[in-house]
Amino acid sequence: MATLTSPSGAARREVSAIGRPPSLLDHLLRRFGRAILIGIPLAFLVIWTMVPIIWALLASLKDPLEIYESTTFLPRDPSLRAYWAVLGMDGFPRWMFNSILVTVVATIVPLILSILAAYAFAKYLFPFRHVLLLMYLIPRIIPRVSLIVPLNDLMTDLGLINTYWVLYLTYIASAVPLATWILVGFFKAVPKEIEESATIDGANMWNRLRYVILPIAWPGVVTAAVLCIREGWNEFAFVLALVTETGMRTLPYALYMMRDAMGVQDFAIYNAFTILTVLPLLLVYLLLERRVVESIVSGAVK
Amino acid sequence: MSLSAVRDEPAPTAAERVSDAARLTVPYLLVVPGLLFVLGVLGYAVAGGFWLSLHETDMFMAKTFVGLQNYIDVFNDPRFQSSLWRTIVFVIMSIVLGIMMSMIFALTLYHVGFGKRFFRGMSLVPYFVSGIAAAIMFRFVFTTSGGFVNQVLSVLGLHQPSWLGDPVLAFIVAVLANCWFMVPFATLILLGGLQTVDRDIYDAATIDGAGAVQTFFKITIPMIKPMLGVSLIWVSYISFSTFDIILALTAGGPQRATEVVSMYMYQLAFLQLDFGQGAVLMVVLLTFNTVLSLVYIYYFILADRRHGREL
Repeated sequence: MATLTSPSGAARREVSAIGRPPSLLDHLLRRFGRAILIGIPLAFLVIWTMVPIIWALLASLKDPLEIYESTTFLPRDPSLRAYWAVLGMDGFPRWMFNSILVTVVATIVPLILSILAAYAFAKYLFPFRHVLLLMYLIPRIIPRVSLIVPLNDLMTDLGLINTYWVLYLTYIASAVPLATWILVGFFKAVPKEIEESATIDGANMWNRLRYVILPIAWPGVVTAAVLCIREGWNEFAFVLALVTETGMRTLPYALYMMRDAMGVQDFAIYNAFTILTVLPLLLVYLLLERRVVESIVSGAVK
Repeated sequence: MSLSAVRDEPAPTAAERVSDAARLTVPYLLVVPGLLFVLGVLGYAVAGGFWLSLHETDMFMAKTFVGLQNYIDVFNDPRFQSSLWRTIVFVIMSIVLGIMMSMIFALTLYHVGFGKRFFRGMSLVPYFVSGIAAAIMFRFVFTTSGGFVNQVLSVLGLHQPSWLGDPVLAFIVAVLANCWFMVPFATLILLGGLQTVDRDIYDAATIDGAGAVQTFFKITIPMIKPMLGVSLIWVSYISFSTFDIILALTAGGPQRATEVVSMYMYQLAFLQLDFGQGAVLMVVLLTFNTVLSLVYIYYFILADRRHGREL
């Protein structure tokens, strides 16, 4: 116990060192107090975080009528019926395809653009760089939903409503500032001596970027990629404002429309649909969880 | 989202000595492609929104200049006034509750002795759930018959309210759903702050006789001020622009109890097709959010740097 793991732990150790020597009972009480002090908020954290997801998961496995009964928590007779029903829905494969396509484009293009821009911001001194960087950063504090009115007006004039292009354009534009901001920090952290020695060895800019900067700053690229995937996969305001055709919906929009589309409320299907839209992104997160959490905790993502 | 990079001097590299011509053009060539998207879409949208707010749109989408008439109409509209107050209450409640929860969770994750990596990874899960899915999950947690909360209350033999049918309760559920979605990111930012504080400082404070509460407010909070600023920006940004969560949770109801500015903007522009007045609400949202962010950046992030402390 008496390790310096916490300010409160240190405090108690100090107090007991001044007073009488700690007895075994004191020791146990302190341990117990600490366990409660950490245990209660920890239990709350776990329940708070997981209950909504687990409740949806349980409901998706239940019989539709069983959901209305306020007696059971666990499904009496778990079945995957609702999932098969969702997968068999008319539009579902198309919506899944739309979401994947738009997310892939809205991840790869912003990453390429941001790697180039971040390299310039991190490694070159050039006039107006502060102004240009501000232009990249200010969009990060503009609420996306506030842009849907003028964007709808613009895209209608351009005749892009109900095309993939309208989603590519808006998603790329909102992902570039995010990815650039993350990457500038990671690129700056690459020591310039390494780059200079590569230059002496005859490497041009592309080779330095490809063989020196990117491998060293790879955790940053992965983090930026995961956050671009998240933006694209979960985006709702733009697709709601710029797409009207059923076949052009992405999964969040299709999920939202389920609310009106189902005459008879089959909440098991509704929940299964929710789980299926959330699951692919959670799998991406679980695969790369360590890098993402590290990047956020280290302050590289803001 | 801080502006620290703007003030840092980029390190000059060997690349700059290659040739003057390259030095002058290369960085611009690298920066411009991304900027075209940012300015072409987002920059246009902001400029277009201001322009649109000064015009009236008829049913054929033809626009006539009306000056500030839209602003006058909107600010005199009682429905707008109540949606603005509702947004302010929503944002304040979300910031207070959200930052308190983030701080408690961050302290918990900092002190937890086992499964550190697991709990950290798990705490970020809601960050990856879309606003729509989060709202639908919360609807099923709080739905009257078959909702998790009411089922727990029924097991305990307590009164089971109609959470989403009551104006006040629905508003509270909306705040909770918003917190569920935004707290995880703020938690990890604050956790990062806690980890930067040197443990020796805590020891020194203890020797000087400071209690745990005193240490927290006199040492921890000032030391993590920049991260507190970043999480405040995040939390108020999300709360001001909250849209998908409320749309899928309550759609502004019951009796407009959860109709915040972004919801009313959507109503005006896309259901009543009044683009001019919708654009006025956009300007309102944009102004509030930008001013608040700049205040945080100034007080929490830049103010410290003037005293020479590194972020």
